[in-house]
Amino acid sequence: MIAEKLKHLFYPASVAVIGASDNFDKLGYHVMKSLVGSPSVRIYPVNPKAAKIWDIEAYPSLDDISGEVDLAVVVVPAAQVPETLHRCGRKGVKGVVLITAGFKEIEDASGEDLQNEIAGIAGLYEMPIIGPNTFGFVNRTGGVNASFTSEFSLLEKGGVALISQSGGVCHLCGFLAIEQRVGVSALMSLGNRVNVDFPEALRFFVEEDGATRVIALYIEGVAEPRRLLDLARSLSGKKPIIAYKAGRNEKGDSASRFHTGSLAGSHPVWRGALRQSRILEVTSVEEMIDTAKVLDSCALAKGGRIAVLSGQAGPGIIAADALEAEGLSLARFSPATQERINAILPPVAIRTNPVDMGPAWYNPKNMIEILNAVVDDEATDGVLFLAIYASANLGLAAAMEEYMRKSKPFTKPVVVIFSAPPGIWDEAVRKLDRKKGLAVLPTPERAARAMRNLWGAHVLFLQPR
Amino acid sequence: MEELLLGVDALDFLAREGLPVLRSTLAADADHAADAAREIGFPVALKVSSPDVVHKTETGGIRTLLKDEKEVRGAFADIVASFSSRYPEKRLDGVIVQRQGSGTELIVGTMEDAQFGQVLMFGLGGIFVEALAEVSFRLIPLAPWDAKEMMEELKGSAVLLRPRGEKVDIAAVEVLLLQVSKLAERCPYIVEMDLNPVFVSSDGVAVCDARIKTA
Repeated sequence: MIAEKLKHLFYPASVAVIGASDNFDKLGYHVMKSLVGSPSVRIYPVNPKAAKIWDIEAYPSLDDISGEVDLAVVVVPAAQVPETLHRCGRKGVKGVVLITAGFKEIEDASGEDLQNEIAGIAGLYEMPIIGPNTFGFVNRTGGVNASFTSEFSLLEKGGVALISQSGGVCHLCGFLAIEQRVGVSALMSLGNRVNVDFPEALRFFVEEDGATRVIALYIEGVAEPRRLLDLARSLSGKKPIIAYKAGRNEKGDSASRFHTGSLAGSHPVWRGALRQSRILEVTSVEEMIDTAKVLDSCALAKGGRIAVLSGQAGPGIIAADALEAEGLSLARFSPATQERINAILPPVAIRTNPVDMGPAWYNPKNMIEILNAVVDDEATDGVLFLAIYASANLGLAAAMEEYMRKSKPFTKPVVVIFSAPPGIWDEAVRKLDRKKGLAVLPTPERAARAMRNLWGAHVLFLQPR
Repeated sequence: MEELLLGVDALDFLAREGLPVLRSTLAADADHAADAAREIGFPVALKVSSPDVVHKTETGGIRTLLKDEKEVRGAFADIVASFSSRYPEKRLDGVIVQRQGSGTELIVGTMEDAQFGQVLMFGLGGIFVEALAEVSFRLIPLAPWDAKEMMEELKGSAVLLRPRGEKVDIAAVEVLLLQVSKLAERCPYIVEMDLNPVFVSSDGVAVCDARIKTA
């Protein structure tokens, strides 16, 4: 029942904002600001004191709305929440985003009592509630921003769903995702989790949401980790799931702590359990957004043999070091591949891996031909391509973009590092990024880690169930 | 009620449950020890057995690679004399005569985690446990590929696994991990198991010492 209603919650045709406001200092203002930018949604502001909010006809209460309401976003004070939820239930609202804080997360015991009360109400009407104490969610696929942060509508549409326990981490990752052009299907914080917890959200994005291709979890701590882990294991092989588990206290003495029995909830156990559940663990915000991006855009790496193509020798050497540090290796090209490269590159450059592309630098056709040659090589599992700006290769990115439009998608992961002063290659890079199996990342080190994870995801997918 | 199985009691329990253990007998005197050693086959190791001692190495109560009856008798007298003089307050059950184990030392354990329930730990044993923290965890029950992956994680320290270049019986270790997982599942009253060390060599795997806590 909850699962069925989640579809309407995440893809609502109509949204009531209970506590909608024209006052910038109220959350109800910011939720309205986000929603008015969601053109496919019918908005019902609810406020007993105003005829219009954000220039949209307002209703004194939910009961005064004659049409159906799929989603109610609630921003009224905590004390009014139980009564508000009863109204939602009686109205037949499919789901609630409860932004209001002041429940289980506060020190005063009354917060927990109040949360238990709303859990009871949610159960009574079988009504999914995201929150309380959430910033809401953004569904880029459906064009719905049911949060108090309107700027999340700047996220590019794509296949990454971020399910975060924390709203703050969602904002941190969300803004980085805008900057790094990560394609997002949805972004949400679970808050205090009344009846929509990690398992419910995970199941929805794996099984119900067609636009989502990768699920990223940010986990702080959960009361019943097995419920999440067992579900993930049962869903394994469908969509890659990555997780950033916070609260690591990773001392080298894990074994001795094991002896004293004081290991409860420790990170080493989480690490093993994630692996067992076929969830790929990431250990930083950067790694999370980079990994989500490449998993959304690139083919998985079937092994760890990587080709490095670089216009300059130095960055190529860094990339080779970074790959090795990640447990990957430099691919050894077959004679046929080497011939194809040699036919294009004069012997003034290093033509074995890493390939110094210098002499081909001003001819995008040659660059792509070398790229295709190494992708075709059976002994190569992925490619790092490094392009650093120099005044004389001003047209490189644009030419590459134009050439790529006609070419076939890469069947192996191609991770590209473009580095240029702001404004020079931006437009072409934006067009190239996340298309035809290619993804752009900022540095060789981050690209190497992402490549390792493309291999790791492949290994996790391979396991028998 | 909480109970702790140590030494021969713990090994006997594991053997009855079908786990590979080094053959061991608790001997009360030197004659008994010599007989037991002959029956087990040389070389053997002798270890002090006291309900008050969990870490035998620290008490100096271990003699290894004893190759005949004379050495066994000598070692028996040594262990008893030094234990009694150093730890007059501690009880002495006797001395364990055990088939000499060899190979790489591993550690396999289970515990009850407050959040996760039953958890299995596996890693390099002996001095490496604390020095390298080469341990990994899985939730019980383990599937066969979990055991395989735990073994792979350990291969990161391949050099340590094969100190003299010989191969170790990886498949036997994987079977043991699954056996321990099944045992913990079957016996929920076991709140903690600590098989340490477990020897693995080219011809299989054997538990050398164990500590089992039941509730």
